[in-house]
Amino acid sequence: MSPPTIRFSLNGHARELEVDPAHRLIDVLRDDCGLTGTKEGCSVGVCGACSVLVNGEVVSACLLPAPHVDGASVITIEGLAQGGALTPLQEAFITEGGFQCGICTPGQIITATALLTARPKPTDADISEWMMGSLCRCTGYHGITRAIKKAVEG
Amino acid sequence: MKLAQRETIAAPAARVWALVMDLEKAAGCVPGITALTQVAPDRYRGSLPVQIGPVRLVLEGEIAVTARDDAARRATLRADAKDSRLGGTVRATIDVALAESGASTELRVDGDVQIAGRIGEFGQPVIQRKAGQLLQQMAACLGRMAAT
Amino acid sequence: MSFEFVVPESWPETLTLLAQRGDEAFVLAGGTAFTLLLRQGLIRPAYVVSLRRVQDAARIKADAHGGLSIGATATHTDVVRSSAVRGAWPELADAVAKVATVRVRNQATLGGSVAHADPASDAPVMLAALDAQAVVLGAGGARRRIPVDELLVEPFTTTLAPTDLIHSLEVRARRPTTRAVYLKYTPRSADDYATVAVAALANVSDGVLHDLRIFLGAVGPRPMRASSVEKALGSGRVDARAIDDAAALARDDVDPIDDLRGSAVYKREMARVWTARALRELAGL
Repeated sequence: MSPPTIRFSLNGHARELEVDPAHRLIDVLRDDCGLTGTKEGCSVGVCGACSVLVNGEVVSACLLPAPHVDGASVITIEGLAQGGALTPLQEAFITEGGFQCGICTPGQIITATALLTARPKPTDADISEWMMGSLCRCTGYHGITRAIKKAVEG
Repeated sequence: MKLAQRETIAAPAARVWALVMDLEKAAGCVPGITALTQVAPDRYRGSLPVQIGPVRLVLEGEIAVTARDDAARRATLRADAKDSRLGGTVRATIDVALAESGASTELRVDGDVQIAGRIGEFGQPVIQRKAGQLLQQMAACLGRMAAT
Repeated sequence: MSFEFVVPESWPETLTLLAQRGDEAFVLAGGTAFTLLLRQGLIRPAYVVSLRRVQDAARIKADAHGGLSIGATATHTDVVRSSAVRGAWPELADAVAKVATVRVRNQATLGGSVAHADPASDAPVMLAALDAQAVVLGAGGARRRIPVDELLVEPFTTTLAPTDLIHSLEVRARRPTTRAVYLKYTPRSADDYATVAVAALANVSDGVLHDLRIFLGAVGPRPMRASSVEKALGSGRVDARAIDDAAALARDDVDPIDDLRGSAVYKREMARVWTARALRELAGL
């Protein structure tokens, strides 16, 4: 009985690894792939810190069994900026005070990226619905919301 | 966690009492119990598999009579068990009393169950329901045994 | 390595695997419950079967009459976005949209939610109110239909055998007069489980709630049918007073426990309050 092998695209690069099926995607990202931008906050899928995009949809990497990314395309926080250039959303997080300690920030940005892809002109209700469950202990959330709106305006 | 069970048994109290105090027979009424062996007079060791949804435990431990009053037909039992798979312990103090009512007997079981460790994290209410079911099945089994 | 992980590609293949190892197998769809149980150390499976690649298992379709079939591995998001669901039973899409967060909805499946039978979950309650049927595959591929409200018995326990699989969930077509509603009371945070949830359906005409079905969630070991309330309203015209009087009986139809989301006493009272609200919404009052 050999460990399952997963073949997936990680931030645009093809990867192939053997995984322990008891591991989650977050274990693969942080430990096997060395991408520590995705943070483990609560381990139970409630806080949003570990949000990543799998086939364009935002999921909690701490809840996804590692074998479940076989054949999928995964984007982490490290994969958003292209050629060193931050996305407009990432720039907005900087200018609008969207983070303080930074621990929730990768998750916030990934989730907001998914939001803006699905709803390029989100209403306040859309923002609430999508960002709900992306917890921040520092900012009080207004900076995050401002950053999202700034990215929409351009 | 407090549990209580009442069962009316169609048999005279003396017969029910004899059965309840025969620990080997009474323990045999715990649904699913295996490997029941006597360790000392009034003390037995056994193994009890319990399933709650996808979670499977194997409780291994002892049950003993710690107090008895044959005249009043009351006794106290003490159960101590460990689940080595998940890591947790169950400790129960069970008071048993019989009340005669014509040709029938009312069996009263009142338990105080303490759960520690992983099993406890699963959720007291789920455990309470399960424990209540086990107790109900046990009482029904004792009832059937006594009535035959 | 910790356990064997198999990913069958068809229902027949899955059934064959379960026939061999059903007793020790853990079957997962989205994997949210599985991951939580595994990480909490509550399960130690030797053999895990993932349904993620089973062909057509996530398909959602509506027939010409508006009857709906939702594949077992369709995610909550699939259901929320489905034009078939929005056309046939938009209230079901709205109910499912209330589950947790967008991340959980993107991963967790409706079939998994029914099979997991968490008394605090949303989808099973709404499905029960809509009189949904689970299409269940048994040994050898035998297919049977089980009403969802009969399938769910105890917390985390269904009537399914270890060799059974939920294939899909079916909801019959509605009538022109059918109304349905799902109200979820979450006093703490919006992404929480409900303190109490009410799913109700009726064929409404001339102020009468015909064929009324009310199920309450998170207040018992399974979705709890508010039979007392249904009986009290009977086949008469409903007004605000009749609704209030009937809703009060919801307290007797539930069996809540004390927990973080409220005391049993509080939940019983909220069952009354929210049942009344659901009924008013159905009746258009």
